[in-house]
Amino acid sequence: MEELSKQNQDDLLDISDEENVRKSKYMTFKSGNEHFGLDIQYVNEIIQIPSITAIPRTEDYIKGLINLRGKIIPVIDVRLRFHQEPLKYDARTCIIVVNVSDVTVGLIVEQIAEVIEIKDENILPPPKMGRVERTDHRFVYGIARVGNSVKLLLDPDKLLNDDDISAIEQSNSIVLVKE
Amino acid sequence: MAEEFNTEGMLDVYLFENQQLLEQLQEIVLDQKDEDCFDEDSINEIFRTMHTIKGSSGIMMFDNITAVSHKLEDVFYFLREAHPANVPHMELVEHVLAVEDFISGELEKIQNGDQADGDSTEIVADLDEFLMTIKGEKKGEEKKTEVSGNVHKEPTQFYIAPVATDDSRFYKIFITFSPDTEMANVHAYKIVYALKEVAEDLLYSPEDIISDESCAEPILQEGFKILLQTKSDKDEVQSIIGSGYELEKVDIFECKAEEFFQGFDFGEDSSRIDLESSVEDIEAKTAGKDEKEETQKEDKSKIAPGDFVIQSKEPGKQKKLARDKPKAEKSSFISVNVSKMDQLMDLIGELVISESVVLQNPDLKVPGLNLDNFTKAAVQMSKISTDLQNVIMSMRMVPLTNTFQKMNRIVFDVSRKLGKDIEFEMIGEHTEVDKNIIEHISDPLMHMVRNAVDHGIETNEEREASGKKEKGKVTLSAKTEAGKVWISVEDNGKGLDRDKILQKAKKQGLLEDGKPESAYTDKEVFQFITMPGFSTNEQVTEYSGRGVGMDVVVQNIQEINGMLDIDSTAGFGSTMSLKIPLTLAIINGIVVETGGASFVVEIGVIKEFVRVKEEMMICEPNGDEYIMIRGECFPVLRLGEWYGMDEDSYRKSVEDGMMLIMEIEDRKICLLVDRLIGEQEIVVKPIPSYIKKVKGLSGCTQLGDGSIALILDPAGLM
Repeated sequence: MEELSKQNQDDLLDISDEENVRKSKYMTFKSGNEHFGLDIQYVNEIIQIPSITAIPRTEDYIKGLINLRGKIIPVIDVRLRFHQEPLKYDARTCIIVVNVSDVTVGLIVEQIAEVIEIKDENILPPPKMGRVERTDHRFVYGIARVGNSVKLLLDPDKLLNDDDISAIEQSNSIVLVKE
Repeated sequence: MAEEFNTEGMLDVYLFENQQLLEQLQEIVLDQKDEDCFDEDSINEIFRTMHTIKGSSGIMMFDNITAVSHKLEDVFYFLREAHPANVPHMELVEHVLAVEDFISGELEKIQNGDQADGDSTEIVADLDEFLMTIKGEKKGEEKKTEVSGNVHKEPTQFYIAPVATDDSRFYKIFITFSPDTEMANVHAYKIVYALKEVAEDLLYSPEDIISDESCAEPILQEGFKILLQTKSDKDEVQSIIGSGYELEKVDIFECKAEEFFQGFDFGEDSSRIDLESSVEDIEAKTAGKDEKEETQKEDKSKIAPGDFVIQSKEPGKQKKLARDKPKAEKSSFISVNVSKMDQLMDLIGELVISESVVLQNPDLKVPGLNLDNFTKAAVQMSKISTDLQNVIMSMRMVPLTNTFQKMNRIVFDVSRKLGKDIEFEMIGEHTEVDKNIIEHISDPLMHMVRNAVDHGIETNEEREASGKKEKGKVTLSAKTEAGKVWISVEDNGKGLDRDKILQKAKKQGLLEDGKPESAYTDKEVFQFITMPGFSTNEQVTEYSGRGVGMDVVVQNIQEINGMLDIDSTAGFGSTMSLKIPLTLAIINGIVVETGGASFVVEIGVIKEFVRVKEEMMICEPNGDEYIMIRGECFPVLRLGEWYGMDEDSYRKSVEDGMMLIMEIEDRKICLLVDRLIGEQEIVVKPIPSYIKKVKGLSGCTQLGDGSIALILDPAGLM
């Protein structure tokens, strides 16, 4: 947490410096060891974990259905989506409700961080892997430098709809490379 | 939010209103198609409808619709004002329906975003011709060529007859203005305007007091005459007219209805009405004698209210009003966007959830709390929210009236084209069904009705030959029974020919090998006609016989979980009944629990609940399980297992659980669940499309406590 607030200060300094740079806001959250960013325009709200009704015979990362004030929406576990080890949900576990091209889905994330502003110039394309040809970066479309830390910017469309299983290893390997 | 409510375009409103008007129109027309003529109310109603459509279409610049509705309006104006005798009623009905078809066709084009480009000239010409004919019959001596084709002279004033009641009184009012009054016509109009408040019928002379300023002079000289029909007594009328310096004399005479209908005959020299501005009146009165040469004048004469309005009130004609059938009470409606209804429905869902959150709040569980008042208030609140839910459900229910009305039209059209004399009866058309269901049954019903008219009812000659005395009759009926709607189409025609169907089935290879024809029950035989491509009609007609139809019916009905039942007696007619659920949105379900999760099974498929003993189970080496119940063997499905649940969460032993025997299309399966929760009406919601279709699940629902239960689809489990 201390780390986070420090980052925050850095960000604020960054922002006050320049006014006319293209930048957008990102919702950042932690999953595994990494921080991810999601363009804020997709985020509807953040809720606590309600009771989830599991659905049989679906992908394991689809945890089931929740009742969001009368609207029934599916929730997916981001950790499982990234092929990370499942984690027991605790008080910090949240659901980010996103709306991507009219599909409303809840993303279960380990921990919400903050909303930050990232200048476009600080966003880099994900690095190409040396040995293996991987042109299809599954979830991450950019890597943002924010102060001293790095946020992986997620493409929500791919996050929801890409069902290529190899994607997970990929994202994990990117993480490794970055580190 | 407020802005959202106003964004519905004018076009939407236009389309909606006019479609409704057309539906009403059709209802009126078909209602009286078998009479000799339209009664006065209907003529007025049709006239008004056309007037409204003309007006709104004019505003929306749909010229062809305007032209057609205008023409029909003319025809009915003439009918209403002139009461021509010997109007060919059938022809008139056809004209009205043709116009209705044309306009609804155009409206449909507009709705689909196309240009309303239909050609109206033909219909207009037809109507012109028709108008000529009925006019010709009324005033035979007039030259028929006078009215030119499409050139229409806008009538100067439409006179919409107000309601007449029995306890009306009739007055003749004669007003003399003081000679130095300026703008006497305006003063006269003031009086007329004031009288309109109480008037049931009001005529005055001179006629054109508003636009024609020159009539001030004659009003001063001749006085202003008013014929008033009202419920008010003389003193009231007097006080309404009031007194003023400009009024020299006000004479009010009460008179009899007959006198009233005679018009402006104040017992004086009738030439006194020979005023400049009411020249049409005079001309009209003499119309029978004088031939008029100018088209315009003739046109005007037919609309001069001073003449024909009075004619229309001849005592003899009023009988038509009297024999009015009990008028269906018109309830008032507002149209609501369906999306708002859905929103409302969602909000109610939320309300129910938050209600249970409040009522089952853990804070209330603190021991030693005195909750008496709270509980009372809570009960009251639950009651209201339940009522609210019910009302909203009922808002989605729509009576079948419109659908039935369409069938009426089909019977009318088809029977006329086929030259069959067919009576059509509707029973229970007010039965209410969910809107979604109505959309699904419209087509099947149409096929069934067409079949009844085309195949079922014999031609007039055949009927005579077979000695049937009564008229061919098609009965369309609807009723609600046991949570289902039954809609049946019944005809008293020749019935289904068992042998013919069997032969045809044989030809098409539908019969089972080795099964003798006699072994088929009637029901089984009749089911053949629902096979695709099966038609016993040798001839393909415009309406049926191509062999598509019944299979479409069955398909559509099955889509909404309905059933088709065919019954027939050779020589006496056949009955086709549809059994359909009341609604798709709400089902009556049994809530069960397995491994802490709730599931819903539609009540209709459950045959039985049984507790079983371990020794009744039969286990195959490959893991398939069966159970023997009363000598019958059912496959067993453990819901928890199928669901891939945590091994420890659900009950393993069949003795602890509960077996549901479900049956769908003669296939049976036993489902093992942990326990039963109860029966509940549930609102079916689709599983979000993000999740790919899961076999065995047909939807989900929200239970009273806000949790989500999955709805099992038994067919998917088998």
